[in-house]
Amino acid sequence: MARAFKRLLAGTAVAASVIAAGPAAAQDGGEKYDIYLSMSYIGNDWQAEASNMIKAMAASETLRDKVNLEVQVAGPNAQRQIQQINAMVQAGADAIVVYPISPTALNQVVRNACAKGVTIIAYDGEITEECAYNVTIDQAEAGRRTAEWLVEELNGEGDIVLVTGVPGTSVDTARTQAAKEVFSQHEGINVVGEAVGMWSQAVARTELSKLLATRDWSDIDGLWMQVGCYTANAMQMESGAAPADLKPCAGEGSNGGRIQMLAEGTEVEGADGPYAPKGARRISYASPPYSGALALKLAVDILEGKEVPQHTTLPLPIVTNDTVQLCEEGSWEEMQSGCNAFKPSIVANPGWFASIFSDQTPEVGLNAALVAEPEK
Amino acid sequence: MSSVTSHSNLETGRGRARGIVSRLDPKPLVAFAVAVLLFFTVDWISPGPMTYFDVSFQASGTAPLAISAMGQTLVILSGGFDLSAGAVISFVNAVLATSMSPTDFEASVTLWTLVGIGIGMAIGAFNGFFVAVLRLQPIVVTLSTMFIVQGLTLLVMDQPGGFIAPSIGNFYMGDAIPQFLPMSVVVMGFAALFWSWLKRTSYGLGLYAVGSDADAAEASGIPVILIRFATYVIAGGFYGLAGVFVGAQTGSGDPLVGNALLLPMFAAVVIGGTRLGGGAGGLIGTIFGAFILMIVVNILLALNISAYYSTIAEGGVLIAAVLLGSISRRSVLATQIRQIRDGFDARRRGLHVGQRDKADRRFAFADRLVGSAAGEATRAGFLERHRGTLRHALPAWVCLMLVLIATQFVLGNTLANWTFWNSLLVLSTFLVILALGQGAVILTGGLDLSLPWTIALSGIMVAGLAGGSDAALLWAVPLVFAIAALIGVMNGLGVVALGLSPIVVTLAANGILQGAALLYSDGTPSGFAPPLLRWLMTGRILGATPVLVLLVLFVVAGTLLLSKTTFGRRVYAIGNSLAAARLSGVRTGRVTIGVYVLSSLCAALLGILLTGFSGQASLGMGDDYLLPSIAVVVVGGALITGGRGHFLGMVGGALLLTALQTLLAGTTLPFAFRSIFFGGVVLAAVIALRERRS
Repeated sequence: MARAFKRLLAGTAVAASVIAAGPAAAQDGGEKYDIYLSMSYIGNDWQAEASNMIKAMAASETLRDKVNLEVQVAGPNAQRQIQQINAMVQAGADAIVVYPISPTALNQVVRNACAKGVTIIAYDGEITEECAYNVTIDQAEAGRRTAEWLVEELNGEGDIVLVTGVPGTSVDTARTQAAKEVFSQHEGINVVGEAVGMWSQAVARTELSKLLATRDWSDIDGLWMQVGCYTANAMQMESGAAPADLKPCAGEGSNGGRIQMLAEGTEVEGADGPYAPKGARRISYASPPYSGALALKLAVDILEGKEVPQHTTLPLPIVTNDTVQLCEEGSWEEMQSGCNAFKPSIVANPGWFASIFSDQTPEVGLNAALVAEPEK
Repeated sequence: MSSVTSHSNLETGRGRARGIVSRLDPKPLVAFAVAVLLFFTVDWISPGPMTYFDVSFQASGTAPLAISAMGQTLVILSGGFDLSAGAVISFVNAVLATSMSPTDFEASVTLWTLVGIGIGMAIGAFNGFFVAVLRLQPIVVTLSTMFIVQGLTLLVMDQPGGFIAPSIGNFYMGDAIPQFLPMSVVVMGFAALFWSWLKRTSYGLGLYAVGSDADAAEASGIPVILIRFATYVIAGGFYGLAGVFVGAQTGSGDPLVGNALLLPMFAAVVIGGTRLGGGAGGLIGTIFGAFILMIVVNILLALNISAYYSTIAEGGVLIAAVLLGSISRRSVLATQIRQIRDGFDARRRGLHVGQRDKADRRFAFADRLVGSAAGEATRAGFLERHRGTLRHALPAWVCLMLVLIATQFVLGNTLANWTFWNSLLVLSTFLVILALGQGAVILTGGLDLSLPWTIALSGIMVAGLAGGSDAALLWAVPLVFAIAALIGVMNGLGVVALGLSPIVVTLAANGILQGAALLYSDGTPSGFAPPLLRWLMTGRILGATPVLVLLVLFVVAGTLLLSKTTFGRRVYAIGNSLAAARLSGVRTGRVTIGVYVLSSLCAALLGILLTGFSGQASLGMGDDYLLPSIAVVVVGGALITGGRGHFLGMVGGALLLTALQTLLAGTTLPFAFRSIFFGGVVLAAVIALRERRS
């Protein structure tokens, strides 16, 4: 508690000094590039993690002397993000890194920013305006490959439940449509239930509870979820299932889920309750939270005149039971050699997204995602 | 002493009503002044100069919020509330983007604008019919409409895309007079002119009359039904225009684009000087309110306020803007300060009421009367005594039965299946808990919008502090409750001492709490729910989840608290009439603060239980509970303006909504249809709550 209070107090002091130094600091850009980050809503784990990684990237040796980064939040309102981006252009931004609230709503303001020579680069979500750079994964491929894995696990036969993301977004539509296409090609696969999971472990639990009010786990053979496999496994164990009986689940890349994939009995520091190795049959994928950090790095490359493709499609970070591997420290070097799950004693939050490795971003490792500290 | 203050309060109320006639209402002027001040502040602190382009961009960016908030203002002036506004904007945007031909770059601006406004008005007519003709409560009707329209929007367009002709974008985003007057300003100007005209018509007069006192208006021969109906239709037109504007601004459609405008809309209305509850204010102030809200974005950027502090700063700006607008000798804050000074003065001179001797000063005949009345009165039967309560609390339970029977038919394996009942009850627990707090606040005529982040902050703190240890719960839980109580006291003080609208105070508090949660957790909540808490929510005793015991205790305690205690009776008294309650000797301020504390405590309890349910806390865990908390209270028979409702009715409402969601979750209907269904059933449920015309 005392720690928390100190943190709040320290925070307030920082805010006061920031306010005091505000306008002056904004002006002495010097040799550095002024790069702004426009985030949408920061009230969830993914966004906070991505923002930590971006801050760490800006503080890394590679970019420290090149970049002035200013982070702003637009909230869930597209109108405000439009205004924010314009204000950034007006404030003299060289580049703007954007987590777009809507792929289409920003088009006009982005076109206008491009016309003034400002580089716009979006991460995770996409901006459809042609002059914008995008850093994303192929969402349809993610839906397709995870669905194919599930069909294979079930040998082409079984009753499955789908838990989707936020309805009305292009990411959710692309993933779900692609997955449904795969399922419809296999006659033995029946979708017996579909719930809206809003990309949240907490929502996944309430929705699955509603589904299971009129069904039993024995009526379900497998799950395809955008977020929530960790929770689904925890729920099965609460209702008395042995780890060996857990249903195959295609889903997100949460660290809790990755830890559950490790063979049962694996010694893991800090493991507790459902956040422990269970040998759960899983395919784990995610929109990787490093995409923002990479976008920042690419933005500097573009400003320095290097050739950067308009659309960077990131490799789909897929982990299965065969490839899951526990990290000791979580340094970038260690992840490069193949580890992809983190000890609960270091990552206390099982909903935390574990897909943080990219061979293009040696500046950021586990500490970047957790506390915004670069590797070097 | 107290009678003097309440008298002056009544006077202020009257004074506001008289403001219709007087031309110089200060509130829009204050909003205007603040907006101009902020604008020059931005100009001063920004590195570059403000060019015509920036001003024009600012105007066109604000237009959708300003125009839709103007519609919302009309509804609020009539004493209503429109939650469907954001959904209508998305719907119009989606319809336009999918119906325009992608090859037609020169689509007619007039035609498509009229289409947009027309769609908005049609949905407004739907709202208006249920609110005006069937006399249903606006908040439930528009909540249902919101779900239905959101579902329809997803049917029209399941992901962002579509095409809106550049001709429309060029028109609305362009200039009326090149390099001098942006078109968006002209549109808002026209809307303002329309309002200036409308205000002077008999409709305008009727609108203020209905909003001030619908019964009095009815008695004076004002066509209340017609005025209410027209209000929703015109407001719908405003939302439709805002939808067209969003389309012009973005050149495409997005089925979710308008939803996030709902809460800022209320903020714009209140900053613009319109009183929630109706009868006082106007649409012009709202435009400036919208400008203030949007320009905050530029200020945060220019001051380089870091991300975690941005919601805190916004909350501060919201409160400051509204406080500034209410500064006057008659403002509540000034009155409170005067009152404290007078009280202090009286005490010093020994004249304070509290210093008089405590002798019984009843008149002699009072005793006789009490004695004789007690002898004669016969106790009325149960039905007789509770007729009013039953009439409003029963429909939720009846609908619950119907939904349960439907579930049995559709999904089978329900009524005789204990697992079903267990899940239903566990999931309802969350809403039942919120219903007590939000219900008590609503009974006093307030509203608590700070629930989402009170829930999240409490959950994050209990997980972080306890760190997976049962023993630590012993001090972590009381500490979290203490902090929640403090949040409640701050909310209550904002309402009572500063005299601000509950919506503004709690909306600002929500932003501040979000910042606090982010700072506390550094963006990554840590720790798990201790095993005891997990067992409480997911374990089993004799086949039942342990939390059900807590649920039973909670329902009994909540019922007793609201219907059998002095506190409960005072809550109802305040809801029926603040002035009458105060004149009857109720310390209204303390009771009001009390209900906000109760609400925060309930939210904290929910946060703790949700953490146990999920095994850990997450940042957005409270986001999905705000609208349902209001819905269950109102579906349970409470009146949103306060004074009526029974906790058991709200419990029925919580069970009904959960049962309905469970039924829909069991089907394989697409989400769009589920949303439509949900809205339809809620609407049907409240038709039974209809106010009969006396």
